[in-house]
Amino acid sequence: MLLDVDNITVHYGRLAALRGISVTVEEGEIVCVVGPNGAGKSTTLLAISGVLHPTDGAVTFDGKNIAGMSPEAVARAGISQVPEGRHVFTTLNVEENLRIGTRMRKDRAEIEKDYKRVLELFPVLAERRRQPAGKLSGGEQQMLVIGRALLTSPRIMTIDEPSLGLAPNLVDRVYEVLLELRRNRGLTLLIVEQSSERALKAADRLYVLRSGEIQLEGKAADLQDGKRVRQAYFGFEEGVTHEGEVDF
Amino acid sequence: MDYVIQTIISALSFGSFYALGALGIGLLFSVLRLINFAHGDFITVGGFALIVPSSAVVATMAIGSFHPALLLVCIVAIVVLLALVSYFLVFQHVQNASPATMMIVSFALGYTLQNVIVMIYGGRPKAVNIFPELTGQVQLSDGVSVQILQLVIIAVTWVLLIALVLFLRRTQVGIQMRAAAEDFRMARMLGVNGKNVIALAFILSGGLAGIMTLLFVTQTGVLTFRMGVPIMLFFFIATVIGGMGSLVGAVVGGYSVGIVSVVLSAILPEELRGFRDACVFILVIIVLLARPQGLVLTKAAKERV
Repeated sequence: MLLDVDNITVHYGRLAALRGISVTVEEGEIVCVVGPNGAGKSTTLLAISGVLHPTDGAVTFDGKNIAGMSPEAVARAGISQVPEGRHVFTTLNVEENLRIGTRMRKDRAEIEKDYKRVLELFPVLAERRRQPAGKLSGGEQQMLVIGRALLTSPRIMTIDEPSLGLAPNLVDRVYEVLLELRRNRGLTLLIVEQSSERALKAADRLYVLRSGEIQLEGKAADLQDGKRVRQAYFGFEEGVTHEGEVDF
Repeated sequence: MDYVIQTIISALSFGSFYALGALGIGLLFSVLRLINFAHGDFITVGGFALIVPSSAVVATMAIGSFHPALLLVCIVAIVVLLALVSYFLVFQHVQNASPATMMIVSFALGYTLQNVIVMIYGGRPKAVNIFPELTGQVQLSDGVSVQILQLVIIAVTWVLLIALVLFLRRTQVGIQMRAAAEDFRMARMLGVNGKNVIALAFILSGGLAGIMTLLFVTQTGVLTFRMGVPIMLFFFIATVIGGMGSLVGAVVGGYSVGIVSVVLSAILPEELRGFRDACVFILVIIVLLARPQGLVLTKAAKERV
């Protein structure tokens, strides 16, 4: 097991945002965590990346306990996070953005090769290499942060809502790229997603998170009809309440 | 005409000094959200490091009697060390607290430094004389003569500004620092060592304070334990006017405050000149009413509003 989040609890002040949740990711797997707003999805990723420290439970990465480590130490251990809202460095140019995570790498010789591969993967970034990242469109910024995370040469990449604020065709493109990376490079992915439809399409396994607790977990193949996922997601029987369609 | 040229040079030299001060504040604010009110006292400590520690009325030069180059290195090193120690001993322990808490801690540090100086050196002002050749006048053309020190201050400021810009734009560490200034958490998630970046900001800020010590003491020729306080107020105002968190803003703010003060003392009628600082502060209030985020807007400032 590459990443093992074991029964962690995370508090914001006195408020528990996560109440004893467990998530595991095997090497080469794509795992999605889905759930409504405020379910604790982002909190889960921040607890893995060392920004938040669990008050209880353990986070084990490649056999090493990483709960309580600093974000930079977690990044150096091989977990690269693409947080919600993209977070490009707007005043740095595209190349500086891409290269900033390579400083911690020890395999100096591989960096240039990886850099070229990322530019091949995202030709638009190659064209705009010298431009400030703040000038890129939303879709281009999403490509940039994924490319930037790739250049840290991670063992696992965690992505928080890659589809947030993007047009549907761009979201398709982002997922295409992610699946391609897994296929060609065996990249392990932990994706947080609000749309369970997307998650069912992309993931090998799925967790449904609501109110800081895991409501359902299983292989995507077993959950394809979507009914159990929807139920876990909303916490009520289909067709029982609420008029109209809920978009998810 | 001669008077105009002298006023311009004087304004630029004041502005340069304030710009350096505002940069020292801005560097720390950009990565740490700390408004370091002890910055002025760092300058004071650098000044007192020139003389032998004693409460005697007449100061005896220690480092102050060294060869100028060695003197410069020693004083800058001492102030840098002070800045670093204050990070590891004090600010590191409150760096996750609110900016207001950090600011109050910096006040406490400043008062502590002042009182340590009083304990060691006594509370009376002491005359010191360093780089006496700089306080002389130089003839620019017929009838126009300015103090050499003013030209030195302008030149030193621009050399430091260019060096800082090159460092932040061209070096890997500088780029990391800019990234951390814009989005500290994201930079750390990409492996940038947060502690190192902050320590570096303290080193740069302390280095600037050390150089300013020498410029300031050469100008005034006097050491007092509170000498850092009034200039710190102007640095702070310059930082706020320029826009917190923007280094360009700090420079713009520093020059604005410096130039406005000098121009006001040149044009205000005799009987109002004593109120020059009051006039400067009124202008500051007007600027802030019109542009609460300061003259130069940064992403960091936008996020906080």
